[in-house]
Amino acid sequence: MQKHNQKEHLYKLLVIGDLGVGKTSIIKRYVHQNFSPHYRATIGVDFALKVLNWDAETVVRLQLWDIAGQERFGNMTRVYYREAMGAFIVFDVTRPATFEAVTKWKEDLDSKLVLPNGKPVPTVLLANKCDQGIDVLMNNGIKMDQFCKENGFVGWFETSAKENININEASRCLVKHIIASESDPVQSVEPDIIKPHLNSSKIVSCSACFKS
Amino acid sequence: PAALPPAPLGFTDVNLNSRNTYEVSRRRSAPEHLPHGGGTAPAAPAPSPQEPPEKARHRLGIAGAGSSFAEFFTRNFFTKRTKELKPAVQSAPGWKLFGKVPPRENLPKDSKIIQQEYEARTGRMYKPPAPSARRKNIEFEPLSTTALILEDRPANLPAKSVEEALRHRQEYDEMVAEAKKREIKEAHKRKKIMRERFKQEENIASAMVIWVNEILPNWEGMRATRRVRELWWQGLPPSVRGKVWSLAVGNELNITPELYEIFLSRAKERWKSFSETSSENDTEDAGASVADREASLELIKLDISRTFPSLYIFQKGGPYHDLLHSVLGAYTCYRPDVGYVQGMSFIAAVLILNLEEADAFIAFANLLNKPCQLAFFRVDHSMMLKYFAAFEVFFEENLPKLFLHFRSYSLTPDIYLIDWIFTLYSKSLPLDLACRVWDVFCRDGEEFLFRTGLGILRLYEDILLQMDFIHIAQFLTKLPEDITSEKLFSCIAAIQMQNSNKKWAQVFASLMKDNKEGDKNHSPAPKN
Repeated sequence: MQKHNQKEHLYKLLVIGDLGVGKTSIIKRYVHQNFSPHYRATIGVDFALKVLNWDAETVVRLQLWDIAGQERFGNMTRVYYREAMGAFIVFDVTRPATFEAVTKWKEDLDSKLVLPNGKPVPTVLLANKCDQGIDVLMNNGIKMDQFCKENGFVGWFETSAKENININEASRCLVKHIIASESDPVQSVEPDIIKPHLNSSKIVSCSACFKS
Repeated sequence: PAALPPAPLGFTDVNLNSRNTYEVSRRRSAPEHLPHGGGTAPAAPAPSPQEPPEKARHRLGIAGAGSSFAEFFTRNFFTKRTKELKPAVQSAPGWKLFGKVPPRENLPKDSKIIQQEYEARTGRMYKPPAPSARRKNIEFEPLSTTALILEDRPANLPAKSVEEALRHRQEYDEMVAEAKKREIKEAHKRKKIMRERFKQEENIASAMVIWVNEILPNWEGMRATRRVRELWWQGLPPSVRGKVWSLAVGNELNITPELYEIFLSRAKERWKSFSETSSENDTEDAGASVADREASLELIKLDISRTFPSLYIFQKGGPYHDLLHSVLGAYTCYRPDVGYVQGMSFIAAVLILNLEEADAFIAFANLLNKPCQLAFFRVDHSMMLKYFAAFEVFFEENLPKLFLHFRSYSLTPDIYLIDWIFTLYSKSLPLDLACRVWDVFCRDGEEFLFRTGLGILRLYEDILLQMDFIHIAQFLTKLPEDITSEKLFSCIAAIQMQNSNKKWAQVFASLMKDNKEGDKNHSPAPKN
């Protein structure tokens, strides 16, 4: 049904992070525009598909792989990583331990998955449940920027699946980096190609969108 | 109503007697109770055939051919009045009274009512009906429109001739007869459905008697007999379900209720020390493994509230929240090498719904000690791959077309089987249906879990063949909610667990020997 000159991209995206940080909720919010506090625990992997009309010439289809969070499943779920083009690593701002696990998730991801050009897949860090107002980690954006740079995240966002904060923005940021890394790995990404619609005071810009 | 057997009521009582089956059986039995709710329902249309045709016709002619029971009662209510109308409708001068003529003062008393009826029926064509008339108008709509054929034409048109009027009367009678025939046919159909429902309930009730009086007292002698196995396939009556599961799972581990109490109190102590110190505490002995840490209160707590959330019984403050917590906590102390693994909460929850606490724990521990469950819950990846490989052997054998379709997308069983096997279908199928799968799983063992998976694929084969990778993956990880046990079990029954004369166990054993294949990870790639 697409126009002749339209390009279609299909990207497999992983959504990983500790158990109960809200991976499923983020995906449901992003794809189905709703939220429920009663999602069942994910066993193995769940799936969702999101189609973005990226621009006049480009349609982006995102295959979202919602991967069970228990550390023990590591061996089992790493087969799900294959051929992913990008990833979200999610933690829960109300549970510091889930932030401590972020570096473990990132290392695990990078050790099992690289792009064809040998680079790690673009990964965005999501600080979820920011509606719950615990700013222990978030009170210092500069520290978070630093953390992302050190750990190779292309950006980070405070998100709330419940209040629908920053999820579309985070996705746009990730897709932008995927497209950039795909089309020309050398070319830098302009920071202001996409202006997110800000509807919350809690918006944080994509910290690494100016990375080369 | 006289035909209503006492058995279903007795069955209900038994359900309620068993605390643990109550939650499940309430869900199950709600539809089964429908016949009670409409106790008179199956008999309702019954009087019709015995009714004198004359009377029936008039009843219909005036009251209209409704189909719901409510309308039946309404009709009955009006039957009396219909009788009074009888002469008016039957005699030629009588039905002429229906003509559109200004009210006549000299009409007999009965015809006043007739007039009202008439106005009620025709009112919408000429003038807004009175409120009460409007109500009737709606109820009797279908035939009241038909009956217009009996009326005289409006004054500005030529009047009907006698022949025409007679012909109309004949046509009208035919229409009424046709409607009557239809109604009788539908009544028969309804009766048949009701009879089937009663039969089903009677079957469950009589099955329960057989289980309680014959099978359970002679369990070891009878469990493998053909008769019992067949009865078992039909589904266990909820009231004996927990008991049969317990017996079938067995207690190889020789766990006693006392042992459960010991591990439970140990778990409670641990939780206490966890909440007093921090969960990052390393003061425990050096042997504290990953599993031990995963046994933490937090992890189990997080999952408990996400176990059957729609039932609202395991959430914090719900009636079974603490119970589920206790069983899972005690297990992590009993088997620290396995610890708590996601998926366990669903299994423990289903057992808690069907068994007393200590019995639920004993069944839980023994169930997880079965080779297949142990392989999965220890996340023994190479063993899991063997199970997937065995599954694929029977997949290809039973559903070759779908097998190739999946293969063309590199859609491997780990995409959908992990969820199914880890939770024994309790998360992916409606709970009552999952319990029926558990019934036969207890009878046939692990093989039945994979057979059920193939049954699901068979049930949806036609749809799945039309889908691409992501849609299949989405479909299988979130199955339709309207899946019925009749359809699923007939598909499962059609799955042959026989591969060139090798049964599941033999196929699996030969795969186990074949270690050269090793840990080859077939992994799914995104396909469009």
